[in-house]
Amino acid sequence: MKKYLIFGILFSILFVKLEAQEVQFVGSANSVVETGEQFRLTYTLNTEGSNFIGPAIQNFSVLAGPSQSSSSSVQYINGRVMQSSTISFTFILQAIQPGTYTLSGASVVVNGKKIQSNPVTIKVVKGNSSSPQGNSNNTPEAGANLDGNDLFLKAVPSKSNPLQGEQITVTYKLYTRVPVSLNGIDKIPSYEGFWSQDLIKDKDKYAQYNETINGQKYMVAEIRKVALFPQKGGKLLIDPLQIDIVAQLQTKKKRNSFNDPFFDNFFNDSFFGSSVQNVKKTLRSNSVTVNVKPLPAQVRPADFSGAVGSFELKPSIDRKELKANEALTLRLNISGKGNLNLIEKPNVVFPPDFEAYDPKIIDNISYTANGVSGSRTFEYLVIPRNPGEFIIKPASFSYFDLAKNTYVRLQSPQYTIKVQKGDGSEANITISSANQEDIKYLGQDIRFIRSAPFELTPVGKYFFGSDLYYLLLVLPALLFAVMIFVWKNQIKKRSDIAFMRNKKATRIATSRLKKANTYLKEAKQEAFYNEISHALWGYLSDKFNISLSELSTESVRMALQPKEVDESIITQFTDTLHHCEYARFAPGDKSTIMEQIYNEALTIITKIEHELK
Amino acid sequence: MKKIFLAFAGLLFSFQMIAANDTQLVAKGNKAYMNGMFSQAIACYQDVLKRGSASAELYYNLGNAYYKTDDLPSAILYYEKAKKLHPNDADINFNLSVANNKIADKIEQVPQLFIKRWWTAVFNLFSLETLATASIVLFTLFLLLISIFLFARPIWVRKVTFWCGIGILGVSISAFVIAQRKHHALKEQKEAIVFTPAVTVKSSPDANSVDLFVVHEGAKVIILDTLATWQEIRIGNGSEGWIKAIDTRRI
Repeated sequence: MKKYLIFGILFSILFVKLEAQEVQFVGSANSVVETGEQFRLTYTLNTEGSNFIGPAIQNFSVLAGPSQSSSSSVQYINGRVMQSSTISFTFILQAIQPGTYTLSGASVVVNGKKIQSNPVTIKVVKGNSSSPQGNSNNTPEAGANLDGNDLFLKAVPSKSNPLQGEQITVTYKLYTRVPVSLNGIDKIPSYEGFWSQDLIKDKDKYAQYNETINGQKYMVAEIRKVALFPQKGGKLLIDPLQIDIVAQLQTKKKRNSFNDPFFDNFFNDSFFGSSVQNVKKTLRSNSVTVNVKPLPAQVRPADFSGAVGSFELKPSIDRKELKANEALTLRLNISGKGNLNLIEKPNVVFPPDFEAYDPKIIDNISYTANGVSGSRTFEYLVIPRNPGEFIIKPASFSYFDLAKNTYVRLQSPQYTIKVQKGDGSEANITISSANQEDIKYLGQDIRFIRSAPFELTPVGKYFFGSDLYYLLLVLPALLFAVMIFVWKNQIKKRSDIAFMRNKKATRIATSRLKKANTYLKEAKQEAFYNEISHALWGYLSDKFNISLSELSTESVRMALQPKEVDESIITQFTDTLHHCEYARFAPGDKSTIMEQIYNEALTIITKIEHELK
Repeated sequence: MKKIFLAFAGLLFSFQMIAANDTQLVAKGNKAYMNGMFSQAIACYQDVLKRGSASAELYYNLGNAYYKTDDLPSAILYYEKAKKLHPNDADINFNLSVANNKIADKIEQVPQLFIKRWWTAVFNLFSLETLATASIVLFTLFLLLISIFLFARPIWVRKVTFWCGIGILGVSISAFVIAQRKHHALKEQKEAIVFTPAVTVKSSPDANSVDLFVVHEGAKVIILDTLATWQEIRIGNGSEGWIKAIDTRRI
């Protein structure tokens, strides 16, 4: 509005100068408009006036107006004072239908005189939404268009196949061959799948340079630069950026409405140059696809939390000897280039007796056109509560080094902290039955793996149910069965022998006695006694299954007693044996004694035979 | 003859090689685990499994490595596999309970009848290997005692050996029976772990049937029946339903 006002003033001055205060009442509007386009219809009067009556406006819809604005100026030219004032009446109209329309003049009363303006002819063409919508100074324009080659926006990623977490920058370059001014950023992409950081904060510091594309020289402005850190693998799409710009176009004019060669000549002179037209345009950059490679998962350290870039770890501790209940500060400074904002606190294991607080995070991160760099410091405040010598285990921080293309693990040194007894402001008696503490469980974790070598067996094969198992089970049973069989056989055999001897005993004894009888008759004393003795002993041996060597009068008694043989018979048997021994050497009639012993032996065998049955 | 001998020697040698490689792989996995490279450890252990060897300790280590990589269903699966082989191992049971505490579902176990509890206790008291060995040793001992019973003269020796023999035979038969049940359970794989993050349990083996409840990854289910791609399952609290077989992996 202000701009038009200035132009208005300028005009009025010109009119004042050139028309020498002649009353002018001019109506003007864009000669060509599109359907749906909003445009101004302005009637300008170069003096004071009143009773403005607008034209009959048909075929257009009146969005606003008539609105009145006035300006006045005083000029000194060659000592003459010239005073002028202009009044303009403005309608804002919208074209509805294509066609050529003429608006009859408006009227105004100046010094009691009614003045009619010129009629205004407006050509309405079919709308094209992307064509420049804008306005110019009061001059009607000839529909100048911006070529796509004159002005475009390009998104340039620094790397199209980064690793996950690797920093890439996307630069939005505005290529132009016409002077432009940036109205504002219309639509910022959401950068889905990325962690993003704007790198240009100060709008005045756009880098500008010239670049030649296809032989055309362009002015390039880097209007926006973003550091992006891909958070996941795969193809990620960066949406286009949309900006609004105003381009200043130089146009050749066609001034139909004025028909004034002088006027035209004036405007085309060197002072004004050719006419400048401001064109509003919305530009969209190209969308960019980034192919993100995931980080190698195989050898990822356990404490890796997504930091990618190149970093340094600078640990520091403010003191190593202190008194109980005094504070101790451990700083872990991680500096370098990469996604610093995503670095999580390293897990520092303090002795359980220390009171530890969550670390304070101090960031010193700069976002320059080169990317995100700086440092992040974790400040741990701990208070040892009891005296003693404690160890703060090394804290580690892992990141993926882009230059080495591998994971790097940085470690802080191990600190040994000597804590002296405090000044006693707090009760520090730890060993006392009165204030025993429960064991504090600091965390829960699974137990460690079995590291000793252990036996491996084939999967799905078990000892139970295997052939070996059944073999081992059946084998002792078989052995047992075989043993029992052999044993039984043995017993049977032995019992058979005893039976046979038992059966034969009487027969052998009888045959021996018969032999003895013949010896008796032949009076062979020696042979007789021998035979009788053999008959008796052999009978017993066979009958009771006692070997000859074990035979004695005692063993005979032992063998006969369990068989419930009458005691008298046993005595008689032993007596007969005794008689047999003595009789050999006894004096007297040999034949009678022999006869007697023969009968005795016969009787006793018969008796035992009888008893055993 | 010489050829056969050579072939046999070669076979023996190759067995030795396999065993040596397996042990080396396990050692490599253990080392990776100690250095915090859990994915690498998993790869080593899985290699051993792929080669066809396993043990309760290997399953346990594998479960630990999976636990450390936050793969709870796999961790629980391998702990359960380990437990199946060594039911009373304190470390396995502890780690299994730790892993079970971290899963989404808290399934209240239905209290069992005391007889069943005792049976389970007895069942889990010894490993299959122990039971198999015990049944053989005890049976042999029984035979020895009976032999002594048969041959010994003194009456008290005969008495003692007879009654001891009968008792030992009873224990041996029990060991055999339990071993058989265990062997069956090991082969059958009636239990499974849910691997899909969330599974809706259906009332019948049909995608359009009524949704009964939802189980999450890591939950242990007992498979009651299988029908095409569906499995009828029961969870610890006694609820039953049908889920797709691909959502679970058998222990």
